[in-house]
Amino acid sequence: MEILEEIAAEIEKGDPASVPALTEKALSQDISAQDILNKGLVAGMDTISERFKKGEIFIPEVLIAAKAMKAGMEIIKPLLAESKVEAKGKVVIGTVKGDLHDIGKNIVAMLLEGSGYEVIDLGNDVPKEKFLEQVEKERANVLGMSALLTTTMTYMREVIESLEKAGLKQKVKVIIGGAPLTYSFAEQIKADGYAPDAASAVDLVKDLLNQ
Amino acid sequence: MENKYRLNIPRLNVLARDQLEQIHLSTLEVLRRTGVAVKEPKAVEILKKGGCYVKAERVRFPSNLVERALRNTPPRIGMCDRSGQPAMFLEENNVYFGTGSDTPNVVDPYTGKRRTSVLKDIENVSRVVDFLDEISFVMCSGIASDVNPKISDVYHFEAMVNHTEKPIVFTAWNLENLKTIISLAEAVAGGEEKLKNSPFVALYTEPISPLTLAEESTQKLMFMAEKSLPVVFTPAVITGATGPVTLAGGLIQGNAEILAGYVLANLINEGAPFIYGGGVTSMDMATSTLCYASAEFMLATSALTDLARYYRLPMFSFAGCSDSNTYDQQASLEGALWTLLSSLNGGNLVHDVGYINNGLTTSFEQLVVSNDVIGLVRRICSGIEVNEETMTLDLIDEIGPGGEYLTSDHTLRHFKENWYPELISRVPYDRWEKEDKKDLGTKARDRAKYILENHTPQPLEKKLKAELRKIAESRDR
Repeated sequence: MEILEEIAAEIEKGDPASVPALTEKALSQDISAQDILNKGLVAGMDTISERFKKGEIFIPEVLIAAKAMKAGMEIIKPLLAESKVEAKGKVVIGTVKGDLHDIGKNIVAMLLEGSGYEVIDLGNDVPKEKFLEQVEKERANVLGMSALLTTTMTYMREVIESLEKAGLKQKVKVIIGGAPLTYSFAEQIKADGYAPDAASAVDLVKDLLNQ
Repeated sequence: MENKYRLNIPRLNVLARDQLEQIHLSTLEVLRRTGVAVKEPKAVEILKKGGCYVKAERVRFPSNLVERALRNTPPRIGMCDRSGQPAMFLEENNVYFGTGSDTPNVVDPYTGKRRTSVLKDIENVSRVVDFLDEISFVMCSGIASDVNPKISDVYHFEAMVNHTEKPIVFTAWNLENLKTIISLAEAVAGGEEKLKNSPFVALYTEPISPLTLAEESTQKLMFMAEKSLPVVFTPAVITGATGPVTLAGGLIQGNAEILAGYVLANLINEGAPFIYGGGVTSMDMATSTLCYASAEFMLATSALTDLARYYRLPMFSFAGCSDSNTYDQQASLEGALWTLLSSLNGGNLVHDVGYINNGLTTSFEQLVVSNDVIGLVRRICSGIEVNEETMTLDLIDEIGPGGEYLTSDHTLRHFKENWYPELISRVPYDRWEKEDKKDLGTKARDRAKYILENHTPQPLEKKLKAELRKIAESRDR
């Protein structure tokens, strides 16, 4: 099992180049994809997010670790599908129509991927039709929306109303984020959750899916 | 020595070249025409022998004599820490910060109330200074009210040298006490020669405005010059009260007072380590208080720094001080403006960090917050590196429109070069709300208490400590 510790250590170091080879090596030692996922890749990311919360490391270091985690994930993904191991959850995410400011959404997407969620990133300037279509098609557990502008954040209400009309609102947890947003705005528009920063967005998704 | 003390952006001038010349030449005119009252007969004698015109205690300085003395200015004064290691190079564009001296009051960090200073406060300030990264030297901050007032200066020094390794700028009540303090310093350094070669102390003394070299301060200045030890000679011109109300006149008078002291020191010992600078401050005509953070004081200090550069003398400057009666928004904004301005000007020995209440009270909050502000200002003063690695043309091309830089190796390589504060908050609103909504003042007091409870400075050797005690006590009669 040393190889799994090695994978976790490489993720903590943030070396995307070495993780795929180590993952292959672990598979060749007949270690299951699920063990590689939980005891190697996810274990490494858990340490990273603990250290980030303590203020020992910073966002770029978390993201590079997430990149390393993703590189390993690409290799075991087909095997996980074969053995019917489900991903921790599927998140459709995007920056709403009229808004091109998506750096915050990108960070959240990377951190979610790094934590083992499957993320379908719709990019920026996303209209409600696209959100609806993807939530339905992907059977997403979570829909994440971001906005930076006070003029575009109101669009989130429209998306949620469309979800209600289409009968999808009960099937998906809607979370929102962005600089001008607040908990009370999330409540007003009937979102299921709000996260003030990227790291707490990951905790939020975890909590919502555990409910 | 670390490069972080250096001003790496163009220095801010407030006087143009011809204004500097005008102020310099006018100063020579004041020294020649009006002259200075010198209350110490030995000093009068030395100045007379040196070529000054003397009539009783009034000494007038021929301009060429002043000019000749100014050719001997020491361009760098090196100061060491307590162990004799180089700690500060006082020279063009190197900026070091320290506390102030002799406030009658302190805000107790535990009760938050203002009270009379005691010796323990001076020990505590020294310990906090010892801990704080951005504070390079200590001044005693308070006046201890719980010891023999005739030699409280000696106790101040003993408290400082026992509780920090950083260089000490001290005050002395008179020549006798100064001699005692220097004997303490020599004991710590390991002898007279060692202290002279690696000085970890500088004396702060003052002429009295207008245009007077008082007996005791002149004796102290002469003693330090004879010993070839660093001395700060800094007037307190209060414009409109002890000097002309207009800044140019205030500067000329203050400059004349400093240069009179400089010429005397230089006649005693050519190239004596003399530190220029001081206060040309204003009086608030509504309250008759001396302003510690008026726009005019800041502007005049910048002008004096220009003059210090012109003479190639180290500049004794101001920062982190305030007129506010308590540690509040005013205290932090005035302290921060001072810190930025003194740094942009390139003042060298920058003191009074932690002063509030027009210099009558020491505030630990002001001191620890200033440590953060100094860090921030140092980052500004470190300037912008412009080269292939930092211009990143290839990276910009690689990422292109719409991409992101967060996960590039270049970001990972360099993001830690950004400066991060200790106390200044950047947390999002909701997290701040969860973390008890602490404001800066509360965090500052917590920080001061944390330092006082957790930091133990390197102690002096037991034997040495006892020796210092004996010397101090022998004067306590």
